[in-house]
Amino acid sequence: MEPIIEVKNIKKYYKVAKREKGLGATIKNLFHRKYEIKKAVNDISFSIKKGEIVGFIGPNGAGKSTTIKMLSGILYPDEGGIKINGYIPYKQRKQYVKHIGVVFGQKSQLNWDLPLIESFELMKYIYKIPEKVYEENLNKFTQLLDMKDFINQPVRQLSLGQRMRGDIVAALLHSPQIVFFDEPTIGLDVVAKEKIRDFIKYMNETEQTTIIFTTHDMQDIEKVCDRLIIIDTGKKIYDGSIVEIKNKYANSKTIEIWLEDGKKEVKTFDVNQTPMNEVMEELFSKYHIKDISICEPEIDGIVRDIYEKRVSLEPVVAGMGE
Amino acid sequence: MRTYLEFAIKKFQNKMTYRFDFFMEIVNTIITIVVYLCIYKALYGGTKDIDGITYQMVATNFVISMGLSNAFKFNEMFLQDKIHDGTITNEFLKPVNFTFRMLWENIGEGAFKIVFNFIPALIFTIFYTSFCPPKSIINFLVMLVSISLGYLILWLISFIVQTWSFWLFSVWGIITIKNVFVNILSGSLLPIWFMPDLLRKIISFTPFESIYFTPVRIYLGELSGRDILSGMAIQILWIAVLAIVANVFWKKGVKKLVVQGG
Ligand SMILES: Nc1ncnc2c1ncn2[C@@H]1O[C@H](COP(=O)(O)OP(=O)(O)OP(=O)(O)O)[C@@H](O)[C@H]1O
Ligand SMILES: [Mg+2]
Repeated sequence: MEPIIEVKNIKKYYKVAKREKGLGATIKNLFHRKYEIKKAVNDISFSIKKGEIVGFIGPNGAGKSTTIKMLSGILYPDEGGIKINGYIPYKQRKQYVKHIGVVFGQKSQLNWDLPLIESFELMKYIYKIPEKVYEENLNKFTQLLDMKDFINQPVRQLSLGQRMRGDIVAALLHSPQIVFFDEPTIGLDVVAKEKIRDFIKYMNETEQTTIIFTTHDMQDIEKVCDRLIIIDTGKKIYDGSIVEIKNKYANSKTIEIWLEDGKKEVKTFDVNQTPMNEVMEELFSKYHIKDISICEPEIDGIVRDIYEKRVSLEPVVAGMGE
Repeated sequence: MRTYLEFAIKKFQNKMTYRFDFFMEIVNTIITIVVYLCIYKALYGGTKDIDGITYQMVATNFVISMGLSNAFKFNEMFLQDKIHDGTITNEFLKPVNFTFRMLWENIGEGAFKIVFNFIPALIFTIFYTSFCPPKSIINFLVMLVSISLGYLILWLISFIVQTWSFWLFSVWGIITIKNVFVNILSGSLLPIWFMPDLLRKIISFTPFESIYFTPVRIYLGELSGRDILSGMAIQILWIAVLAIVANVFWKKGVKKLVVQGG
């Protein structure tokens, strides 16, 4: 199948004004500004097929938001090209944005003074959504996200979690084929996170919506995504399925054993260094075991190891992951 | 068009929720107008006219220009705030023209204030002092068109200054100075009739005269026939010039945003 999103070797360098300390330097700066080049996105490529949900992760400052902005058409790449749904986002912005939905968890797109429902109504006019589609989507979404209680409240009175749900609905009312979420679960409680995850999954399954989303919560990734792209300092360092990353890079396994006397023992070991046989032999000879369970590797731990460079990933081939 | 009208309507409804605010604004408008009328009443002190300008004409000028300048106020820090908190980029994610959206929201606010601020203040001042009636119904209707053109001039001047916040950290000071200029040179503090000839000549080459003074003169019948047409042609010319300038700044600002990322 043809990819719906194609990103080829995009780069974005920010020019940051350098500030030096001291009066002399300040005055000198007035006449001759010094700039520093920040390589926020440094040669990233990938392609995504229709209907995929891709988790986009990386440490703070890795370049995730910058990439999302380029995909949404509100930032020009310095080099490279993007083609999404047949459009070049930054060149055909007006046409293109009708087909996408974007949620920036950190920045609300709702009108602060208006009740939520009126912000939604504005979307109807902005996107020229047919009345029937609008009503249908609105009912479905508000029900799924459990929003009846606060839909008539002005946005400025909403809690973070309520506002976020409002933002998500506002971005999806026009049934976009492609949705970008930049940290949609930031600062939310477990229940709210769960609701949003279920909703994202639901949209993907029922509407075949193609979704990219960034997060720092690995639970989001594990529960929602099939595919994971990891970037660090502007470069892609992993692109593949979640299962694969677990199998390949989960070095440490944890075994929990319950003893006859009711006590619980936990043992963590590195599969590459001590084979499973040895560990088991040791355990069986040492304890009277009532029950045993081998825990699945936590994606959290893997990602931590990757960010802290404790494991080295195989170099990724540009555009891999088909 | 429907979409933009909807922005205006939403803004109008939105304003309705702040009732106390608008009550205070009526009082504010009434007080400023009455204070100025008192001063001019004293200045006239019983003389029928000064250089052919009667007290009634001055009062009419004040009520229209000052009353409307209160009604035509809107949040001029809007663009700067949006640029500072970064929400400006959200606007580029929507398939609507953000500039028109701003304009129509401001129009919605203006319409609200005309209905709930200007008209009540006008009714109050009618009891307080006497005004000139419009020269004719036609003059009155043409004045309404001319006021709309005046609003666009006022709005475009504000918008141009607002776009400078793409480059400057704060445009608050510039906006304050701009408003002093607009208030003085548009004749809403001192009627343009009483300005020295040289200043009057200079003002006639600026867009400020076209904001309130042209509509006032149409209403009073100071302009008639061909002069009305040329007055309005000048208004339209200024709108065109200002719109071009505004567009240049806006495009450059947006370019800076999408190329440099803020
Ligand atoms: N407008 C800007 N001007 C200059 N530098 C910027 C700008 N926006 C981002 N940067 C820099 O570019 C780099 C990437 O930022 P970006 O916001 O894309 O990171 P991120 O992966 O989204 O991080 P986080 O997880 O913290 O949200 C950072 O080093 C940041 O300081
Ligand atoms: Mg980010």
